[in-house]
Amino acid sequence: MLTIDNLHVTYGNVVALRGVSLEVGEGEIVAVIGPNGAGKSTLLLTAAGLVRPRTGSVAFDGRSVASLQPEALVASGLSLVPEGRHIFGSLSVAENLALGATVRHDRAEIARDVERVLTMFPVLRDRYRQRSGKLSGGEQQMLAIGRAMLARPRLLLLDEPSLGLAPLVVEQVYAAIQELRRSGVTVLVVEQNASRALAAADRTYVLNTGVVRLTGRSDDIRGTPAFEAAYFGVQAGAAG
Amino acid sequence: MEFLQNAIDAISLGAVYALAALGIGLIFSIMRLINFAHGELIMAGGFTLYTLAGQPLLVLILAALIVTAILALGMERIAFRPLRKANPATLLIASFAVSYLVQHTVLLLYGSRAMGVPFLADLSTSLEFGGLRVPRLQLVTIGVTLLLMGGLFAFFRYSRTGLQMRAAAEDFNMARLVGVRANRVIAFAFAISGGLACMVSFYLVAQTGSVSYKMGVSMVLIAFVSSVVGGMGSIVGAALGGFLVGIISVSLQAYLPVDLRPYRDAFVFLIFILFLFWKPEGLMKTRADRERV
Ligand SMILES: Nc1ncnc2c1ncn2[C@@H]1O[C@H](COP(=O)(O)OP(=O)(O)O)[C@@H](O)[C@H]1O
Ligand SMILES: [Mg+2]
Repeated sequence: MLTIDNLHVTYGNVVALRGVSLEVGEGEIVAVIGPNGAGKSTLLLTAAGLVRPRTGSVAFDGRSVASLQPEALVASGLSLVPEGRHIFGSLSVAENLALGATVRHDRAEIARDVERVLTMFPVLRDRYRQRSGKLSGGEQQMLAIGRAMLARPRLLLLDEPSLGLAPLVVEQVYAAIQELRRSGVTVLVVEQNASRALAAADRTYVLNTGVVRLTGRSDDIRGTPAFEAAYFGVQAGAAG
Repeated sequence: MEFLQNAIDAISLGAVYALAALGIGLIFSIMRLINFAHGELIMAGGFTLYTLAGQPLLVLILAALIVTAILALGMERIAFRPLRKANPATLLIASFAVSYLVQHTVLLLYGSRAMGVPFLADLSTSLEFGGLRVPRLQLVTIGVTLLLMGGLFAFFRYSRTGLQMRAAAEDFNMARLVGVRANRVIAFAFAISGGLACMVSFYLVAQTGSVSYKMGVSMVLIAFVSSVVGGMGSIVGAALGGFLVGIISVSLQAYLPVDLRPYRDAFVFLIFILFLFWKPEGLMKTRADRERV
């Protein structure tokens, strides 16, 4: 569904990604984990069309995204919940959700989907008319996910959804991610929180300093020395 | 009675400043561009009235609105769109270049002398309310401004496009990530700012009865000051700032010693500088410098 091939991304003379290749199949949950500065956000921003690669390619549904604007990608079924949630704090919860449906025009279905989000995250129903800037971090994350759901994405990209949240809230967020998958949404999630992401994902990539250091089924790599080495930056061979 | 007279002067001048500041503030809120060429949109409206003088009023008004909107959209398309990812300083300089280019094109075509234009001449008479003499132009200005602001408010508050523009003003990249079309909301902002500039040119032409290629310059400075006072990036703030600057100008005009009155605008700018020491972020707090995606 998403095919990233030999991606190089630079900001001025800072190299963020150096030859990353990655594949997400339909119906999968795939995690990319890595320490701060590894290039995880850059990867997602490039996939979403907001950052342009120097070389390499991103294809969504077999179609290159190189010439597509982010807003066109949303319309074709790819949504990103960026790091830091970026809800529109001056707007109400209702308005944030309405904006999520910007690319759609099926009023009745949109209303049904809003109802679905409010059932999934009941706190949002209680605060529906309030300024969303007043929500707690966890509530904002739920709103950000709900807003993305309203575009009816087939592929959802999530950048550190657990960042700064209490453990109980993290569980709620991940329960929502599992529910989305059951409803047919493919998920690519990026985390520093390695254990949480490994538990949720079918497959995991470990990214460090702009390079994929390790990849495999999450169950196979969890807790292995190779995983530790890849995540903490020590070259596998040099560890012993 | 004199106070009431001054109050009406202040509100009508404030209304004009507010319209000008809204045009500047709207573009800034979405693009982080301080469009000094806004003054040339005002001027283009005036020259449309001059060129078509003698046509029916409705034709004049529609033609001027169309010309300013097209010029605003043209500036965006040709000068500002290629620079959208550039930093604010580059955008600012580009807007000076556009301003200069339009001014000098008009200078070539029409010359440098101010030229008389009869426009809304029947509004120059005054109405009397028990000792109070109020020029009709002031009443019409206040009325039209309130209508326009009500309309804009409803547009931003209730329409889909208005909501998208508010989202884009708060966090442009995030707005794109939910599917807001960047080119579309920016074009809307420019078209609206062109329309607002046109309303200001109607006032200026009716007030002074003339046009010149520099007629927008001092207004755009006032508009800029007003939008900074209101809080750069806040649309409500821009309107508020415009009214405030208008009120201060008229108060200075009325209460400064007579021999200082010619320097009224210098005092306005002095007060502005003092204001900035007190409240550098303006009256309305915005998320203008908040982190974006
Ligand atoms: N807008 C930017 N300008 C310059 N450098 C950036 C920018 N964004 C990220 N970087 C740099 O690119 C590298 C990767 O960053 P990022 O993708 O944010 O990593 P992560 O999300 O894994 O923490 C880091 O070295 C970071 O400093
Ligand atoms: Mg990141």
